[in-house]
Amino acid sequence: MLEMLSLPPILKGLLVLAFAGFTFPVTGVYLLRMNLLPLRFMLMHGAILGGAIALAMQYNPFWTTMLVNLLMVLLMTKTSRSMQVDTGQISMFMMVISISLAFIFIYKFNVPAQDTLSLLWGSLFALSWHEVVGVLAFSGLLLAFQFQYRRKLRAVFFDREIAFSSGVNEGRLYYTIILLTAITVAAAMKLIGALLLDALLLLPALIASLHAKSLRGVIIWSCLWGGIFSLSGFFLSLAIDIPASSGVALMASVVFLVIYLNHKRFKS
Amino acid sequence: MEHSLIVTHGEEIIFTSNEHWLHPLFELEDFLKEKNIPSSELLVNDKIAGKAAACLMVRLGVTRCHVELLSERAIPVFKAHEVDFSYDSLVEQIQCRTEDLITDSMSIDDAYLFLRKRAGRVQGLPVKIENLTVDIGRKNILENLSLELGRGEQLVIHGANGTGKTTLLRTLLGFLQPVQGTIRVGDIMVGSNEWRHNRSMIGYVHQENVKNTFPISAEEVVAIGLSERKLSSKELNYRVELAMRRTGCFHLAKQSYHRLSGGEKQRVSLARCLSQNARVLLFDEPTSFLDSGGKEDLLQLLSELSSTEAPTMILVSHETAWLDQLNWPRKELKGGQLC
Repeated sequence: MLEMLSLPPILKGLLVLAFAGFTFPVTGVYLLRMNLLPLRFMLMHGAILGGAIALAMQYNPFWTTMLVNLLMVLLMTKTSRSMQVDTGQISMFMMVISISLAFIFIYKFNVPAQDTLSLLWGSLFALSWHEVVGVLAFSGLLLAFQFQYRRKLRAVFFDREIAFSSGVNEGRLYYTIILLTAITVAAAMKLIGALLLDALLLLPALIASLHAKSLRGVIIWSCLWGGIFSLSGFFLSLAIDIPASSGVALMASVVFLVIYLNHKRFKS
Repeated sequence: MEHSLIVTHGEEIIFTSNEHWLHPLFELEDFLKEKNIPSSELLVNDKIAGKAAACLMVRLGVTRCHVELLSERAIPVFKAHEVDFSYDSLVEQIQCRTEDLITDSMSIDDAYLFLRKRAGRVQGLPVKIENLTVDIGRKNILENLSLELGRGEQLVIHGANGTGKTTLLRTLLGFLQPVQGTIRVGDIMVGSNEWRHNRSMIGYVHQENVKNTFPISAEEVVAIGLSERKLSSKELNYRVELAMRRTGCFHLAKQSYHRLSGGEKQRVSLARCLSQNARVLLFDEPTSFLDSGGKEDLLQLLSELSSTEAPTMILVSHETAWLDQLNWPRKELKGGQLC
């Protein structure tokens, strides 16, 4: 099995998955704590739009998807701020608009719909070195952001009004969180696909929130769980010949189930 | 240089001061809080002590003292509180105006608060609201409301549901923009650029119905008050510990905040406000989710706070029985105005 690591696509896949696994769950904590789940669905639809545009115009799907999602998030935050509308409602609206635009592209440019939808399944072993460097750099940025703003993030996660009264510029921080989450979701979609990205982002954060007592604990444990799921899922996939994303999702789901049942038993 | 105050613990000198008037005793108070040393085990050697110093020593919990020059007026205070005292010389009265201002009708707590104010050690800032009008949607909630509170004063605002009590607090915090009127806290106008950099001078304690149950420890909640400060982890932990000790909740530091009782949560919230060095405290229905024990606890905590740090405090509540016990001045919010 280990000799497969000498193949560059496998090695790149392992490298990216390990880095993403240890860092991306930080945004899973943001998603859960800030209740940004509608945003995650909006970004998924944004990925379909990005994929449709990329295939129609023959652009790089990874960067196009990233760009479309960033634009959608910027538009959403700007509208939310200027019209004072809940970001959840705007996410829903953008979700509908993006999917309709995606189908216009698919129809007008004769893009095979199956190719667009295949973007939702991820392609860990088809990453270019540019994309690998991009993911690694972003992982570093994510950790640096979490470390630098850990105290302010803690305040915003606890209560936005109290964060404000403690002097934290919670508005700016909130929109930065959304922006980082958007990039993470877009990158994770490319890695393990939109349908399984929850395994990399949400499940580690969810598991950590079941057993940690402090926010610091949740962040640290989310990253540890994410790294463990990524590595074990990756090698499991090589060992039993299943897609890497399924391996990650399988490991995450089993651990979640065990910890959830244990937590429930402990509570009762 | 000869010290004006020397404090010994057993044989060891643990504190000295060269300051004048009552400042050495206030410094001693800070020192004892910081080091968490019980004052009952100390011997205080003071150069001169009058009635004011005697009241302060009693308030600090001092049980033994030696004074070089003692005023006769201090003796009844020491005797009433069983302080073991001695002196080198006794005079009828010391030449200090403060001695005349401490009347016999004042309790030790009253005298202590009075002396703190006189020493400029009251944390509170004055609050001045002028002609404040706030709309929510198209509805006029507050109309030409004016209010003035001095340093360290307390006020209860009561009134029926929906009269705008919370709106007033949210406007004071700067969450809501008034249609007209101004709010000044100390010399700073709420909403100004200066205020943006000093927002943490107002602490906010809301009702404990936080739906969020995401894990966070009690000490992390207290540390929120220091989010904007550039402190090392060591300094931050020290300040958190100090604030938690002051509200008697340090033993809860590592516990999950959401598993604490209502009263314990309020202690932690107050510690958060103290850690951020808030000089005006706003309480929005703080008893809403408290059981009788929690309410009793909060009452004691507020009374301690008003006689020690004495921040300016505004409390919004409609729980009349509890407010009667609190015994703060009250105003009713009715028709958008305070009466």
